[in-house]
Amino acid sequence: MKFVDEFRDAELGRAVATQIMSLVEPGRHYKLMEVCGGHTHSIYKYGIDDLLPANVELVHGPGCPVCVIPMGRVDDGIAVAHEEGVIFTCFGDMMRVPGSDGSLLDAKAAGADIRMVYSPLDALRIAKQNPDRDVVFFAIGFETTAPSTALTLKRARAEGVRNFSVMCSHVTIVPPLRALLESPDLRLDGFIGPGHVSTVVGARPFEFIPADYGKPVVIAGFEPLDILQAIEMILKQLADGKCEVENQYKRVVPYEGNLRALEVMAEVFELRPHFEWRGLGFISHSGLKLSERYADLDAEVRFSVPGVRVADPKACQCGEVLKGVIKPWECKVFGTACTPERPIGTCMVSSEGACAAYYNFGRFAREREVV
Amino acid sequence: MTRADTCGSEHCITCGDDGVAMHVVRVDEARGLALCEHEDGARETVETALVDPVAPGDVLLVHAGTALTRLEPVA
Repeated sequence: MKFVDEFRDAELGRAVATQIMSLVEPGRHYKLMEVCGGHTHSIYKYGIDDLLPANVELVHGPGCPVCVIPMGRVDDGIAVAHEEGVIFTCFGDMMRVPGSDGSLLDAKAAGADIRMVYSPLDALRIAKQNPDRDVVFFAIGFETTAPSTALTLKRARAEGVRNFSVMCSHVTIVPPLRALLESPDLRLDGFIGPGHVSTVVGARPFEFIPADYGKPVVIAGFEPLDILQAIEMILKQLADGKCEVENQYKRVVPYEGNLRALEVMAEVFELRPHFEWRGLGFISHSGLKLSERYADLDAEVRFSVPGVRVADPKACQCGEVLKGVIKPWECKVFGTACTPERPIGTCMVSSEGACAAYYNFGRFAREREVV
Repeated sequence: MTRADTCGSEHCITCGDDGVAMHVVRVDEARGLALCEHEDGARETVETALVDPVAPGDVLLVHAGTALTRLEPVA
Protein backbone atom coordinates (compact mmCIF):
# COMPACT_ATOMS: atom_id res chain seq x y z
CA MET A 1 0.00 0.00 0.00
CA LYS A 2 1.22 3.47 -0.88
CA PHE A 3 2.34 5.52 2.16
CA VAL A 4 2.88 2.31 4.14
CA ASP A 5 5.07 -0.27 2.38
CA GLU A 6 7.90 2.19 1.87
CA PHE A 7 8.12 2.59 5.64
CA ARG A 8 8.24 -1.12 6.44
CA ASP A 9 11.31 -1.98 4.36
CA ALA A 10 13.38 -4.46 6.39
CA GLU A 11 16.65 -3.66 4.60
CA LEU A 12 16.32 0.05 5.33
CA GLY A 13 15.28 -0.76 8.89
CA ARG A 14 18.50 -2.71 9.48
CA ALA A 15 20.51 0.15 7.99
CA VAL A 16 18.93 2.67 10.39
CA ALA A 17 19.46 0.24 13.30
CA THR A 18 23.16 0.06 12.40
CA GLN A 19 23.30 3.84 12.31
CA ILE A 20 21.68 3.93 15.77
CA MET A 21 24.34 1.52 17.08
CA SER A 22 27.07 3.86 15.86
CA LEU A 23 25.52 6.87 17.62
CA VAL A 24 25.25 5.48 21.17
CA GLU A 25 28.00 6.17 23.63
CA PRO A 26 29.07 2.95 25.37
CA GLY A 27 28.30 3.07 29.08
CA ARG A 28 25.65 5.77 28.73
CA HIS A 29 22.02 4.83 29.31
CA TYR A 30 19.47 6.57 27.10
CA LYS A 31 15.83 6.86 28.14
CA LEU A 32 13.52 8.03 25.37
CA MET A 33 9.78 8.49 25.85
CA GLU A 34 7.32 7.78 23.06
CA VAL A 35 4.48 10.08 23.99
CA CYS A 36 1.78 8.56 21.83
CA GLY A 37 0.00 5.25 22.39
CA GLY A 38 0.05 4.65 18.65
CA HIS A 39 3.84 4.57 18.82
CA THR A 40 3.77 2.16 21.77
CA HIS A 41 1.58 -0.16 19.73
CA SER A 42 3.87 -0.02 16.67
CA ILE A 43 7.02 -0.54 18.75
CA TYR A 44 5.75 -3.85 20.15
CA LYS A 45 3.93 -4.95 17.04
CA TYR A 46 7.10 -4.65 14.95
CA GLY A 47 9.61 -5.51 17.68
CA ILE A 48 11.43 -2.22 17.21
CA ASP A 49 12.99 -2.38 20.66
CA ASP A 50 14.74 -5.61 19.63
CA LEU A 51 16.66 -3.63 17.00
CA LEU A 52 17.97 -1.18 19.57
CA PRO A 53 21.14 -1.42 21.66
CA ALA A 54 20.43 -2.47 25.26
CA ASN A 55 21.36 0.95 26.60
CA VAL A 56 18.59 2.64 24.61
CA GLU A 57 15.40 2.26 26.64
CA LEU A 58 11.96 3.24 25.40
CA VAL A 59 9.57 4.58 28.04
CA HIS A 60 5.87 4.64 27.30
CA GLY A 61 4.17 7.98 27.78
CA PRO A 62 0.66 9.11 28.68
CA GLY A 63 -0.63 9.45 25.10
CA CYS A 64 -3.29 6.77 25.06
CA PRO A 65 -6.68 8.50 25.22
CA VAL A 66 -8.41 5.66 27.03
CA CYS A 67 -5.62 4.94 29.53
CA VAL A 68 -5.71 8.39 31.08
CA ILE A 69 -9.44 8.42 31.88
CA PRO A 70 -9.94 8.15 35.67
CA MET A 71 -12.47 5.79 37.22
CA GLY A 72 -14.66 8.63 38.47
CA ARG A 73 -15.18 9.86 34.94
CA VAL A 74 -16.37 6.38 33.87
CA ASP A 75 -18.79 6.41 36.82
CA ASP A 76 -20.07 9.81 35.68
CA GLY A 77 -20.65 8.43 32.18
CA ILE A 78 -22.55 5.44 33.55
CA ALA A 79 -24.73 7.73 35.69
CA VAL A 80 -25.70 9.76 32.59
CA ALA A 81 -26.29 6.56 30.59
CA HIS A 82 -28.83 5.44 33.21
CA GLU A 83 -30.84 8.68 32.91
CA GLU A 84 -34.35 8.24 31.57
CA GLY A 85 -34.55 8.38 27.76
CA VAL A 86 -30.80 8.60 27.16
CA ILE A 87 -28.90 6.84 24.40
CA PHE A 88 -25.25 6.99 25.50
CA THR A 89 -22.65 6.67 22.74
CA CYS A 90 -18.89 6.22 22.93
CA PHE A 91 -15.88 4.69 21.17
CA GLY A 92 -15.55 0.92 21.55
CA ASP A 93 -12.46 0.92 23.78
CA MET A 94 -14.13 3.24 26.25
CA MET A 95 -16.88 0.70 26.91
CA ARG A 96 -14.46 -1.71 28.57
CA VAL A 97 -12.76 0.77 30.92
CA PRO A 98 -13.58 -0.25 34.49
CA GLY A 99 -15.34 2.25 36.74
CA SER A 100 -15.70 1.74 40.48
CA ASP A 101 -18.76 -0.48 39.92
CA GLY A 102 -18.26 -2.01 36.49
CA SER A 103 -17.76 -0.66 32.97
CA LEU A 104 -20.10 0.91 30.43
CA LEU A 105 -20.34 -2.56 28.90
CA ASP A 106 -21.62 -3.89 32.26
CA ALA A 107 -24.08 -1.00 32.43
CA LYS A 108 -25.28 -1.91 28.92
CA ALA A 109 -25.79 -5.50 30.05
CA ALA A 110 -27.79 -4.16 32.98
CA GLY A 111 -30.19 -2.41 30.60
CA ALA A 112 -28.76 1.04 29.83
CA ASP A 113 -28.92 1.99 26.14
CA ILE A 114 -25.21 2.35 25.39
CA ARG A 115 -24.01 2.13 21.82
CA MET A 116 -20.56 1.99 20.28
CA VAL A 117 -19.83 4.54 17.56
CA TYR A 118 -16.83 5.14 15.33
CA SER A 119 -17.18 8.90 15.26
CA PRO A 120 -19.20 11.71 16.84
CA LEU A 121 -20.86 12.07 13.44
CA ASP A 122 -22.33 8.57 13.97
CA ALA A 123 -23.69 9.72 17.34
CA LEU A 124 -25.31 12.74 15.69
CA ARG A 125 -26.89 10.43 13.12
CA ILE A 126 -28.39 8.34 15.95
CA ALA A 127 -29.80 11.55 17.44
CA LYS A 128 -31.47 12.45 14.16
CA GLN A 129 -32.91 8.94 13.87
CA ASN A 130 -34.27 9.07 17.45
CA PRO A 131 -35.79 12.54 17.92
CA ASP A 132 -37.68 11.47 21.05
CA ARG A 133 -34.51 10.34 22.85
CA ASP A 134 -31.55 12.27 24.30
CA VAL A 135 -28.33 11.16 22.63
CA VAL A 136 -25.11 11.81 24.54
CA PHE A 137 -21.64 11.37 23.03
CA PHE A 138 -18.87 10.60 25.52
CA ALA A 139 -15.99 12.49 23.91
CA ILE A 140 -12.49 11.33 24.76
CA GLY A 141 -9.09 11.78 23.21
CA PHE A 142 -6.38 14.31 22.56
CA GLU A 143 -6.19 16.94 19.83
CA THR A 144 -6.65 14.20 17.22
CA THR A 145 -10.31 13.56 18.09
CA ALA A 146 -11.22 16.94 19.62
CA PRO A 147 -11.64 18.65 16.19
CA SER A 148 -14.05 15.88 15.21
CA THR A 149 -16.20 16.54 18.29
CA ALA A 150 -16.04 20.29 17.69
CA LEU A 151 -17.14 19.99 14.06
CA THR A 152 -20.00 17.67 15.04
CA LEU A 153 -21.21 20.16 17.64
CA LYS A 154 -21.15 22.92 15.02
CA ARG A 155 -23.07 20.65 12.66
CA ALA A 156 -25.65 19.83 15.37
CA ARG A 157 -26.13 23.56 15.93
CA ALA A 158 -26.40 24.31 12.19
CA GLU A 159 -28.88 21.49 11.60
CA GLY A 160 -30.92 22.37 14.69
CA VAL A 161 -30.52 18.96 16.34
CA ARG A 162 -31.59 19.60 19.92
CA ASN A 163 -31.55 16.07 21.33
CA PHE A 164 -27.76 15.74 21.00
CA SER A 165 -25.18 16.62 23.63
CA VAL A 166 -21.54 15.91 24.44
CA MET A 167 -19.96 14.81 27.71
CA CYS A 168 -16.55 16.28 27.07
CA SER A 169 -13.50 14.46 28.44
CA HIS A 170 -11.04 15.68 25.83
CA VAL A 171 -7.52 16.35 27.04
CA THR A 172 -4.52 18.20 25.67
CA ILE A 173 -1.04 16.78 25.31
CA VAL A 174 1.27 19.54 26.50
CA PRO A 175 0.27 19.86 30.21
CA PRO A 176 0.92 16.17 31.06
CA LEU A 177 4.30 16.38 29.30
CA ARG A 178 5.21 19.36 31.43
CA ALA A 179 4.01 17.47 34.54
CA LEU A 180 6.18 14.49 33.59
CA LEU A 181 9.20 16.71 33.01
CA GLU A 182 8.69 18.20 36.47
CA SER A 183 8.39 14.73 38.01
CA PRO A 184 11.37 13.97 40.25
CA ASP A 185 11.28 10.20 39.69
CA LEU A 186 11.72 10.30 35.93
CA ARG A 187 14.88 11.18 34.02
CA LEU A 188 14.42 11.29 30.27
CA ASP A 189 16.89 12.06 27.48
CA GLY A 190 14.46 12.83 24.68
CA PHE A 191 10.96 12.48 23.28
CA ILE A 192 9.45 10.79 20.25
CA GLY A 193 6.74 13.39 19.60
CA PRO A 194 3.14 12.43 18.75
CA GLY A 195 2.54 12.28 15.00
CA HIS A 196 -1.15 12.84 14.54
CA VAL A 197 -1.67 15.23 17.44
CA SER A 198 0.98 17.34 15.73
CA THR A 199 -1.04 17.25 12.50
CA VAL A 200 -3.51 19.40 14.40
CA VAL A 201 -1.38 21.44 16.85
CA GLY A 202 1.82 21.56 14.78
CA ALA A 203 5.34 21.31 16.15
CA ARG A 204 5.51 24.68 17.89
CA PRO A 205 3.76 23.64 21.15
CA PHE A 206 6.65 21.23 21.85
CA GLU A 207 9.35 23.89 21.62
CA PHE A 208 9.20 24.38 25.41
CA ILE A 209 10.76 20.94 25.90
CA PRO A 210 14.17 21.81 24.40
CA ALA A 211 13.89 25.47 25.51
CA ASP A 212 12.92 24.92 29.16
CA TYR A 213 14.10 21.38 29.87
CA GLY A 214 16.97 20.84 27.42
CA LYS A 215 15.55 17.66 25.84
CA PRO A 216 15.29 16.96 22.10
CA VAL A 217 11.91 16.16 20.52
CA VAL A 218 11.43 14.42 17.18
CA ILE A 219 7.85 14.21 15.87
CA ALA A 220 7.46 10.81 14.25
CA GLY A 221 5.15 8.77 12.06
CA PHE A 222 3.81 5.35 13.03
CA GLU A 223 5.52 2.94 10.65
CA PRO A 224 8.60 1.03 11.87
CA LEU A 225 11.02 3.08 9.77
CA ASP A 226 9.47 6.32 11.03
CA ILE A 227 10.07 5.33 14.64
CA LEU A 228 13.58 4.01 14.02
CA GLN A 229 14.53 7.16 12.15
CA ALA A 230 13.10 9.35 14.93
CA ILE A 231 15.23 7.46 17.48
CA GLU A 232 18.27 7.96 15.26
CA MET A 233 17.51 11.69 14.97
CA ILE A 234 17.20 12.06 18.77
CA LEU A 235 20.48 10.18 19.34
CA LYS A 236 22.16 12.30 16.65
CA GLN A 237 21.05 15.47 18.42
CA LEU A 238 22.38 14.12 21.71
CA ALA A 239 25.68 13.09 20.09
CA ASP A 240 26.06 16.52 18.47
CA GLY A 241 25.12 18.35 21.66
CA LYS A 242 22.04 19.81 19.96
CA CYS A 243 18.56 20.18 21.37
CA GLU A 244 15.59 21.14 19.24
CA VAL A 245 12.21 20.07 17.85
CA GLU A 246 12.60 18.15 14.60
CA ASN A 247 9.86 16.84 12.35
CA GLN A 248 10.49 13.35 10.98
CA TYR A 249 6.84 13.09 9.84
CA LYS A 250 6.93 15.97 7.35
CA ARG A 251 4.88 14.04 4.83
CA VAL A 252 1.88 14.46 7.15
CA VAL A 253 2.68 17.07 9.81
CA PRO A 254 2.96 20.75 8.85
CA TYR A 255 5.05 22.72 11.37
CA GLU A 256 2.12 25.09 11.98
CA GLY A 257 -0.50 22.34 12.33
CA ASN A 258 -4.01 22.61 10.93
CA LEU A 259 -5.15 26.20 11.51
CA ARG A 260 -8.78 25.44 10.65
CA ALA A 261 -8.84 22.71 13.29
CA LEU A 262 -7.31 25.03 15.89
CA GLU A 263 -9.89 27.71 15.08
CA VAL A 264 -12.86 25.39 15.43
CA MET A 265 -11.49 23.98 18.70
CA ALA A 266 -11.00 27.51 20.07
CA GLU A 267 -14.61 28.32 19.19
CA VAL A 268 -16.20 25.22 20.69
CA PHE A 269 -13.98 24.41 23.68
CA GLU A 270 -12.38 26.16 26.60
CA LEU A 271 -9.81 24.88 29.08
CA ARG A 272 -10.97 23.46 32.38
CA PRO A 273 -9.09 24.86 35.39
CA HIS A 274 -8.13 21.28 36.35
CA PHE A 275 -8.71 17.81 34.98
CA GLU A 276 -7.97 14.49 36.66
CA TRP A 277 -5.67 12.07 34.82
CA ARG A 278 -5.46 8.46 35.76
CA GLY A 279 -2.25 7.90 37.68
CA LEU A 280 -1.08 11.47 37.20
CA GLY A 281 -3.66 13.22 39.38
CA PHE A 282 -5.08 16.68 38.69
CA ILE A 283 -3.23 18.68 36.04
CA SER A 284 -4.03 22.36 35.51
CA HIS A 285 -5.49 23.45 32.17
CA SER A 286 -5.16 19.97 30.72
CA GLY A 287 -8.81 19.17 29.94
CA LEU A 288 -11.37 20.72 27.62
CA LYS A 289 -15.00 21.60 28.29
CA LEU A 290 -17.60 23.10 26.01
CA SER A 291 -17.48 26.89 25.80
CA GLU A 292 -20.35 29.10 26.98
CA ARG A 293 -21.59 29.39 23.39
CA TYR A 294 -22.16 25.63 23.29
CA ALA A 295 -23.42 25.18 26.87
CA ASP A 296 -26.85 24.09 25.56
CA LEU A 297 -25.17 21.06 23.96
CA ASP A 298 -23.14 20.23 27.08
CA ALA A 299 -24.30 16.95 28.69
CA GLU A 300 -22.80 18.09 31.99
CA VAL A 301 -25.18 21.08 31.98
CA ARG A 302 -28.14 19.08 30.70
CA PHE A 303 -27.83 16.16 33.12
CA SER A 304 -26.81 15.72 36.70
CA VAL A 305 -23.22 14.45 36.72
CA PRO A 306 -22.05 13.19 40.11
CA GLY A 307 -18.41 14.23 39.57
CA VAL A 308 -17.11 11.92 42.28
CA ARG A 309 -13.44 11.18 42.57
CA VAL A 310 -12.59 7.50 42.88
CA ALA A 311 -9.15 6.27 43.87
CA ASP A 312 -7.53 3.78 41.48
CA PRO A 313 -7.61 0.14 42.64
CA LYS A 314 -4.70 -0.56 45.01
CA ALA A 315 -3.41 -3.50 42.98
CA CYS A 316 -3.27 -1.47 39.78
CA GLN A 317 -0.05 0.35 38.91
CA CYS A 318 -1.28 2.14 35.78
CA GLY A 319 -0.05 5.44 37.18
CA GLU A 320 3.53 4.22 37.40
CA VAL A 321 3.27 2.66 33.94
CA LEU A 322 1.89 5.93 32.51
CA LYS A 323 4.79 7.84 34.05
CA GLY A 324 7.25 5.28 32.72
CA VAL A 325 8.47 4.48 36.23
CA ILE A 326 7.83 0.75 35.83
CA LYS A 327 7.46 -1.52 32.80
CA PRO A 328 4.01 -3.06 32.32
CA TRP A 329 5.18 -6.55 33.22
CA GLU A 330 6.55 -5.25 36.53
CA CYS A 331 2.98 -4.50 37.71
CA LYS A 332 1.79 -7.01 40.31
CA VAL A 333 -1.38 -7.92 38.44
CA PHE A 334 -0.05 -7.86 34.84
CA GLY A 335 -1.21 -10.90 32.88
CA THR A 336 -2.75 -12.55 35.94
CA ALA A 337 -5.63 -10.65 37.50
CA CYS A 338 -5.40 -7.99 34.77
CA THR A 339 -5.68 -9.07 31.12
CA PRO A 340 -7.20 -7.45 28.00
CA GLU A 341 -10.28 -9.67 28.47
CA ARG A 342 -10.73 -8.63 32.12
CA PRO A 343 -8.80 -5.40 32.64
CA ILE A 344 -8.33 -3.87 36.06
CA GLY A 345 -6.38 -0.90 34.80
CA THR A 346 -6.96 1.27 31.74
CA CYS A 347 -3.52 0.52 30.23
CA MET A 348 -4.73 -3.03 29.61
CA VAL A 349 -7.91 -1.89 27.82
CA SER A 350 -6.91 -0.09 24.65
CA SER A 351 -4.67 -1.61 22.03
CA GLU A 352 -2.64 1.59 22.42
CA GLY A 353 -2.19 0.98 26.14
CA ALA A 354 1.32 -0.05 27.11
CA CYS A 355 0.13 -3.10 29.10
CA ALA A 356 -2.11 -4.38 26.30
CA ALA A 357 0.70 -3.86 23.77
CA TYR A 358 3.11 -5.88 25.93
CA TYR A 359 0.50 -8.55 26.59
CA ASN A 360 -0.72 -8.91 23.00
CA PHE A 361 2.77 -9.17 21.55
CA GLY A 362 4.19 -11.56 24.14
CA ARG A 363 6.45 -9.05 25.89
CA PHE A 364 6.02 -10.49 29.35
CA ALA A 365 9.61 -9.78 30.34
CA ARG A 366 12.81 -9.32 28.53
CA GLU A 367 16.53 -9.12 29.04
CA ARG A 368 18.80 -7.80 26.35
CA GLU A 369 22.47 -8.24 25.95
CA VAL A 370 24.57 -5.16 26.55
CA VAL A 371 26.56 -4.26 23.45
CA MET B 1 -17.78 -4.81 5.23
CA THR B 2 -18.14 -2.56 8.24
CA ARG B 3 -15.45 -1.21 10.48
CA ALA B 4 -16.56 -3.61 13.20
CA ASP B 5 -15.45 -6.51 11.02
CA THR B 6 -11.94 -5.15 10.96
CA CYS B 7 -11.60 -4.81 14.72
CA GLY B 8 -9.69 -7.79 16.00
CA SER B 9 -8.41 -8.21 19.50
CA GLU B 10 -5.04 -6.91 18.39
CA HIS B 11 -6.03 -3.51 17.16
CA CYS B 12 -9.04 -1.48 16.22
CA ILE B 13 -8.38 1.28 13.77
CA THR B 14 -10.83 3.78 15.15
CA CYS B 15 -11.63 2.70 18.69
CA GLY B 16 -7.93 2.93 19.39
CA ASP B 17 -7.91 6.56 18.21
CA ASP B 18 -5.63 5.63 15.37
CA GLY B 19 -5.35 7.69 12.20
CA VAL B 20 -6.29 5.81 9.07
CA ALA B 21 -5.63 6.60 5.39
CA MET B 22 -8.81 6.61 3.28
CA HIS B 23 -9.46 7.62 -0.30
CA VAL B 24 -12.36 9.80 -1.35
CA VAL B 25 -15.07 8.04 -3.36
CA ARG B 26 -17.77 10.72 -3.56
CA VAL B 27 -18.05 14.29 -2.32
CA ASP B 28 -21.14 16.00 -0.87
CA GLU B 29 -19.86 19.55 -1.16
CA ALA B 30 -23.03 21.20 0.17
CA ARG B 31 -22.87 19.27 3.46
CA GLY B 32 -19.07 19.25 3.80
CA LEU B 33 -18.95 15.45 3.80
CA ALA B 34 -17.27 12.81 1.68
CA LEU B 35 -17.79 9.08 1.31
CA CYS B 36 -14.37 7.54 1.85
CA GLU B 37 -13.03 4.03 1.52
CA HIS B 38 -10.35 2.27 3.52
CA GLU B 39 -7.92 -0.11 1.86
CA ASP B 40 -9.88 -3.07 3.28
CA GLY B 41 -13.08 -1.90 1.59
CA ALA B 42 -14.75 -0.38 4.65
CA ARG B 43 -16.60 2.83 3.79
CA GLU B 44 -17.33 5.75 6.04
CA THR B 45 -18.83 9.23 5.82
CA VAL B 46 -16.06 11.67 6.61
CA GLU B 47 -16.18 15.29 7.71
CA THR B 48 -13.98 17.31 5.32
CA ALA B 49 -14.23 20.85 6.72
CA LEU B 50 -10.57 20.87 7.83
CA VAL B 51 -9.14 19.88 4.44
CA ASP B 52 -11.65 21.20 1.89
CA PRO B 53 -11.78 21.21 -1.08
CA VAL B 54 -11.47 17.46 -1.69
CA ALA B 55 -12.02 15.47 -4.87
CA PRO B 56 -12.59 11.77 -5.62
CA GLY B 57 -9.27 9.93 -5.50
CA ASP B 58 -7.71 12.19 -2.83
CA VAL B 59 -6.18 10.31 0.09
CA LEU B 60 -7.02 11.69 3.53
CA LEU B 61 -5.81 10.97 7.05
CA VAL B 62 -9.00 10.31 9.02
CA HIS B 63 -9.36 10.38 12.80
CA ALA B 64 -12.73 9.63 14.38
CA GLY B 65 -14.60 10.41 11.19
CA THR B 66 -12.83 13.69 10.45
CA ALA B 67 -10.11 14.23 7.85
CA LEU B 68 -7.21 15.98 9.56
CA THR B 69 -4.92 16.31 6.58
CA ARG B 70 -4.36 15.29 3.01
CA LEU B 71 -1.75 12.60 2.37
CA GLU B 72 0.54 13.26 -0.55
CA PRO B 73 2.09 10.39 -2.49
CA VAL B 74 5.62 9.59 -1.37
CA ALA B 75 8.03 10.74 -4.09
